[in-house]
Amino acid sequence: MSGAPAAVAGRPAGAARPRRVRQRVLALLLVAALAAAAGLAFLTVAPNRLVTGTGVLLPALWAGAAGAAGAEGAAWPAIWLMALLLPTAALVVAVWLPPSRAVHAAVVMAATALLTSFVALAGAGAAMRAGTLPEIARVSLGGGCWVLALLSWLAAGDALQRLRLPPARHLAAHAAVLLPVVLLLASGALDALSLLKEYENRQDVFHAAGWRHLQIVLTALLPALLIGVPLGVAAARQPRFAAPLFATLNLLQTVPSIALFGLMIAPLATLGEWLPGSGVRGIGLWPAVVALVIYALLPIVHGTAAGLQQVPAAVREAATGMGLTPRQCFWRVDVPLALPVLLAGLRLTSVQLVGLAVVAALIGAGGYGALVFQGLLSSALDLVLLGVLPVVALALAVDAGFTLLEAGLRRWRAEPAV
Amino acid sequence: MNLTRRSVLTVTLLAMAALAAGPALAQGAVRVGSKIDTEGSLLGNIIIQTLEAGGIKTENRLQLGTTKIVRSALIAGEIDIYPEYTGNGAFFLADEKNPAWKNASAGYERVKALDAEKNKLVWLRPAPANNTWAIAVRSDVAQANKLATLDDLGRYVAGGGKLKLAASAEFVERPDALPAFQAAYGFKLRQDQLLTLAGGDTALTIKTAAEQTSGVNAAMAYGTDGPLAALKLVIMEDSKGVQPVYAPAPVVRADLLARQPKIATLLEPVFRSLDGATLQALNAQIALEGQDAKKVAERYLKSKGFIR
Repeated sequence: MSGAPAAVAGRPAGAARPRRVRQRVLALLLVAALAAAAGLAFLTVAPNRLVTGTGVLLPALWAGAAGAAGAEGAAWPAIWLMALLLPTAALVVAVWLPPSRAVHAAVVMAATALLTSFVALAGAGAAMRAGTLPEIARVSLGGGCWVLALLSWLAAGDALQRLRLPPARHLAAHAAVLLPVVLLLASGALDALSLLKEYENRQDVFHAAGWRHLQIVLTALLPALLIGVPLGVAAARQPRFAAPLFATLNLLQTVPSIALFGLMIAPLATLGEWLPGSGVRGIGLWPAVVALVIYALLPIVHGTAAGLQQVPAAVREAATGMGLTPRQCFWRVDVPLALPVLLAGLRLTSVQLVGLAVVAALIGAGGYGALVFQGLLSSALDLVLLGVLPVVALALAVDAGFTLLEAGLRRWRAEPAV
Repeated sequence: MNLTRRSVLTVTLLAMAALAAGPALAQGAVRVGSKIDTEGSLLGNIIIQTLEAGGIKTENRLQLGTTKIVRSALIAGEIDIYPEYTGNGAFFLADEKNPAWKNASAGYERVKALDAEKNKLVWLRPAPANNTWAIAVRSDVAQANKLATLDDLGRYVAGGGKLKLAASAEFVERPDALPAFQAAYGFKLRQDQLLTLAGGDTALTIKTAAEQTSGVNAAMAYGTDGPLAALKLVIMEDSKGVQPVYAPAPVVRADLLARQPKIATLLEPVFRSLDGATLQALNAQIALEGQDAKKVAERYLKSKGFIR
């Protein structure tokens, strides 16, 4: 503290001292959680779905339970208190323990338990409040609940990262952390929440939206790849061609999607008349996909060109020196070496497309965006969330899929060398 | 390598063909569209279910987008029918000056004649409702100051009464909206008496007034808005008839109607049953209670015996 030598000398001494914060990330998350629990509403209660609700803090849930449930509900607060306090206590202890695989594994489990408890408590609290209110009243998740659940998830994710599992097992473990929440959703324990009421009212729309969203993304990805990869190869080989190409793609990227949709109705409708039976339409899937392809081109072309450009010239010269034809050189040297960068570009594009596909609802293509815009227009925030949450989940799933793909590719490339 | 390329191409073409086949299969069905808002989805669902019950195959293109996109889609032949408001004819057909729009039946006759001639579109008989622009005031303010009509409101504001209005930019700027109200009823709102919100949906303006955000106590509203009563707002009556009449009516492509004349006879009694109070109640079920427009439409049509 007084100077550099003291700090250096302090390190071994500190390691010997038993009482010292060993896991700073976890400690920080716990402090943030405490602040969120004390300061942010855990649930909000509104007389109907349009108006903003009044907040209910986490401690107030127990007061409400004692008042509402009477003698029979007396056990309720104690059980919930245990469900929150036990995992929290475990996490607090872990802050002071030296890092080891056992401690990290224990943190993952305690954080998962805490995440489950927060979500379950929100469901039960909502059911309790809703029981005393008229049918159209809504109980929604408050900022506190979101922050607490997110912090628990982060704690679990951070500890999982420290376990350094191989990618496939890491993803499986991460899925296991989220599994209890999915089970809670499926069990109906959360049905009293406003979010689930929106779901109940629009089940058919919601499920149709899922397939539609995937369809939009996949239909856009394929042509984007077929056009983008050759353009990227051309850009990498012909620098003269690269500058105007990227200028054009950058420009296209800045055109707002709504403007693009409006501009495409008439030309696509005319095209559909020329090609009867082709299914080309001025509204619906076609303009949405065309717009998304245009947006997806930039990262794909960029990824392909960057991937090819980072192949060392020396490697290429050596390959030519060994007698490989330019074509062989491309497929056996350039493509394998550029593949990781290309895949990274494809990963970025796919995740971006999952998000961008939301705007497709504005031209009648459907997908989760339909729920988002209905919610935005009628200022029903839980309906917006009902559309946004699956989009986030889908983006995470796509990202996880690419993690697996890249890990598989690394193994496949490593094998001949072994 | 050639093989790989060819198979990629084959897979792509097959995928495209599969996607194209979806909509192509439904050809021959009546494509029903609607605007993206609450009443649009309600009326669109009512049209779909009425036609289906009458034995006409439909294709669901509801909640396509904004007025501009849905209208362009109808003219381009991308959809066959959608519900539109008679008063909007004044802007579609650049005929704002004509006084006919302020009268329900004259406005309908005018838009019917003009659109048939210029765009080969047929306006079927409209519902006896008026979804016009209006100003709604918090009921506590209205009661305390005895406000029932825009005349009362004009006098209240001109006399220095406290009022702050939440509205869309379009409502504030369009000469036939707020400026027309101000000119007819003799009041003028200062910039600090206006809160301009993005978008044209009244759910947000009504919410702002109900929650008194930024001191707002009045809101731009539509005549058939559902949640007004529940959020304790009252509409100021347009006693001088400043606004065009916006009666909702199905607009259908003339070529399709010639092939399927039954569409008109099926929809006529259904739209005749949709008066202002009915639309308000049905809109409230969607906007306020969060029910699915499809189910609300189905329940209404069943209760009236239009479908079984």
